[in-house]
Amino acid sequence: MTSTTLRGLGIALFFGIVIWVLIPGYVPKPAFLPGFALPPDFWPRVISIAGLVFGLIAAGLGLAGQGTPALPAEVAEDDTPMGTLLARLGLLVAAFVAFVLLVDVIGFLAAAILLTGAGILLTGERRLLAWGAGLALILPVCLYLFFTEALGTQFPPGLLFN
Amino acid sequence: MKKILASVATTAVLAAGSVSAQDYPSEAITLVIPYGPGGASDLAGRALAESAGKFLDEPITVVNKPGAGGMNGARSVSQADPDGYTLLLARVGMALAPAVNPQVQTGWDDYSFVGSLEATPMILAVREGSEYGSVEELMAAVKENPGAMTYAASGPTAIDGFTVQALLSDAGLDPLADATIVPYKGGGALATALLGGHVDFLAIAAGSLMPHINSGDMKPLAVFSPERMDDLPDVPTVAELGYETAGQITGWSALYGPEGLPEEVQAKWDEVLGQVAEDETWLTLAERRGSISTVGEKDMPAYAESQYELFRGLAEEFGYLGN
Amino acid sequence: MLNELMTALQAVATLQNFLIMAAGIWGGVIIGAIPGMTGTMAVTLALPFTFYMDPVPSILLLVALYKGSTYGGSVSAILIRTPGTASAACTALDGYPLAQQGKAGKALNMALYSSVVGDFFSNISLIFLAAPLAILALKVGPPEYFMLMVFALTTVAGVSGNSLLMGLLSACFGLLLATAGEDMYGSFRFAFTGDMQAGLSVAPVLIGLFALPELIKLIVFRNPPKARAMALGDDRVSGKEFRGVAKTLFRGSFIGVILGAIPGIGPSAAAFFSYGSAQRSSPRGQNFGKGEIEGVAASESANNGACGATMIPLLALGVPGDVITGVMLGAFMIQGLTPGPLLFETNIHEVYMLFIGMLLSSVLLLFAGKFTMRIFTTIAKIPPTLLSPVVLLLCLFGIYAIGNSMFDVVVLLALGLVGFGMYLLDIPTAPFLIAFILGPMIEENLRRALATSRGDPMVLLSSPITWIFAALILFVVALTARREIGKANQRKAEAQ
Repeated sequence: MTSTTLRGLGIALFFGIVIWVLIPGYVPKPAFLPGFALPPDFWPRVISIAGLVFGLIAAGLGLAGQGTPALPAEVAEDDTPMGTLLARLGLLVAAFVAFVLLVDVIGFLAAAILLTGAGILLTGERRLLAWGAGLALILPVCLYLFFTEALGTQFPPGLLFN
Repeated sequence: MKKILASVATTAVLAAGSVSAQDYPSEAITLVIPYGPGGASDLAGRALAESAGKFLDEPITVVNKPGAGGMNGARSVSQADPDGYTLLLARVGMALAPAVNPQVQTGWDDYSFVGSLEATPMILAVREGSEYGSVEELMAAVKENPGAMTYAASGPTAIDGFTVQALLSDAGLDPLADATIVPYKGGGALATALLGGHVDFLAIAAGSLMPHINSGDMKPLAVFSPERMDDLPDVPTVAELGYETAGQITGWSALYGPEGLPEEVQAKWDEVLGQVAEDETWLTLAERRGSISTVGEKDMPAYAESQYELFRGLAEEFGYLGN
Repeated sequence: MLNELMTALQAVATLQNFLIMAAGIWGGVIIGAIPGMTGTMAVTLALPFTFYMDPVPSILLLVALYKGSTYGGSVSAILIRTPGTASAACTALDGYPLAQQGKAGKALNMALYSSVVGDFFSNISLIFLAAPLAILALKVGPPEYFMLMVFALTTVAGVSGNSLLMGLLSACFGLLLATAGEDMYGSFRFAFTGDMQAGLSVAPVLIGLFALPELIKLIVFRNPPKARAMALGDDRVSGKEFRGVAKTLFRGSFIGVILGAIPGIGPSAAAFFSYGSAQRSSPRGQNFGKGEIEGVAASESANNGACGATMIPLLALGVPGDVITGVMLGAFMIQGLTPGPLLFETNIHEVYMLFIGMLLSSVLLLFAGKFTMRIFTTIAKIPPTLLSPVVLLLCLFGIYAIGNSMFDVVVLLALGLVGFGMYLLDIPTAPFLIAFILGPMIEENLRRALATSRGDPMVLLSSPITWIFAALILFVVALTARREIGKANQRKAEAQ
């Protein structure tokens, strides 16, 4: 099976789950729906059925050897080993998750500093590290002061400093 | 690395400041408006921020958190730290939504009731040139052709939907089926729907309708308010017309906080609200947006409970709660 | 009238007013250009200041902020593929590729000229055509609305890149995501958590989908070669180029004015609409999305054209068409002025002052834009390895500050990953966003129309406006189908 077919099937599967699992489970029909009204599940159902059909067509085109490839050309040409690519993506996702979790512990500002620093390191920047460290430290503090002072925004302070 | 962490920690500590109830308020207070900018509740919140900010010596930052019929912002405040730095501009929706929608998780009493702010009358109106000159004629037309008449509202479980439904119910009609609700978002869109003739009538907040009534594009039939409005002395209240349940429905705003506010905070606000009640800015702004200041006049917990009970009763009667 | 105009001119032409407007425009451009900060934010922040100002300057300040931020959104859209406002999303489609080709300055200039032209047209329409346009706008009921928005959605076909099917699928994802949250009748859909009851806001979805995938690509593939070419280089718009897009500019401004005048549509839908029609009628239509200057002109003339026109229903009828004019209505009321037909009788002096001020703001926009462009283009010199994480940082702060909401930040990061996944699967993201913004308008108006007709679908074809748009939709669908069949045949011929 080609990647094109798999992509089509994957999409069809997603919309199938929406139609048969998510809509029955999470789109209730309230008792206060008036006499002449399309129910809340009408529109999501129409869209999902369209998506399911398009997904199956995409898979069919893949089987027939037609349709666009499921990977952009510049990615297909990239010769970095798959493991490295996955590791980089994994690290970034971990940084995102860590940020969201850390906000409650060390506060928005400190977590933002860490995420920016991690972001700069992950881009592979090694020559301008001093600049990077400076940016990652000073810019968040400036932004923090701007938003709290000028706009009165209150950021989560975190448990540690509360 | 240690150095960096230490400096980060210091800035964070400096920025967070020390919070204690004794010197409340020692930093800016966030007032959450559970609806979008520009509407009646937004204007009320911003007016309160202006007026109360003067007496608090600390600014009040207004944040709009719309969504879920106002319950998104309300929920976020009810779950916030009860330190007095996050407050809610509560509306009638905070008592209405938990009473009528089983999906709403935040109860009517999951807050501290800091004080009442204002009453916002609602007006039942039709387009100028409409053949209906009174509530009675309108109800008769609804009765004659069930389902054919349409009205605009924010939704069947919103306050401006309940105004019409209570009226229908009082007139002995089916609140859901006899007149067809057409939901719109926001006072501007609701008023446009009536102006454009896309619906037959509506009963929404006075602030959104007064301009069109003054310009002669809309005809007021009745007001939902305990008393007649100063600007519309000839328009009867629905209670006067004998619609009993509908007569108890009106709009209001109040100041809420998360449950368990410290006494010092409540005391400070009692003092501040006392000053706001007589503040020129607050009173002028209230008059201009068509509402009546009731700062500190109502026993808020009791009033909120009575409102909740009223809507709960209606929801049960109308069969909104399902099984 | 001339006499009244002269006295109004004298009253409005003070140094103070001039400074207020210059500050508003420039502040708006900057706020709009910062990723994660929106025009709505700018206008709501300025609202308390207007409590203490005279009526006319306070409205002018808000208008200036609105216009400035609508243009400003295009600056970051072009330079870092981060539309500052949703209405600049189509600007990013062509502006960013242009910047990568080393033509950032050209794209920025074109965006500015188009914005000023659109703005000028909308001011003129506001002054001379407010009453007829407002009456037309009131005629637009749910069925007309529905048809109009479905037609705007056909733009999806034009932004689908090399596969229409993937574009349609992307649009389905966007439409589906937009249904999460509060249903128009008051129940909740796909409310997996309490936060989901409010649904997803446009800003985090927009920025997550457009800006973040650039950072993730940079981190995962580590080859930012194109970005290095982002020197300013070719930065002037030649007279020939300007004449070449003149038709598009007029059409964009016209679309902007008409759609802006209809309450509830706003600049984003106008920009999508204009981009779609420009792409269909342009001889260089195939080049749209790959760095076509005409695409920038189409999008920017329409969104600024809509900007001034949203004032038409506000002033002539007293009904706000979107959130920003809603805030302005609040400002009017606080000042004791009531917009609507009466305003033209009781406060004609103030109305004229407002008109003159708005005309002046078009000129100010040109200067403020030129000036800001210089500052922002220096960011092209920052290496992408530092710039991308900084953009992420700006987005985090901006998105959090819109609603003090960590949920919005989570949505931002999650949509960034979704956008990257879509890139890997070669599914275009622009249809997703367009569908996400238009989806609720389509669904709600369909359900409104069917509620008033008590379930009779013929209501959707009940007026001349709906017939026209139904015909246009059929035409575009047929055109697209023909083009697709042509493409398929071509591929077959190549394969043999």
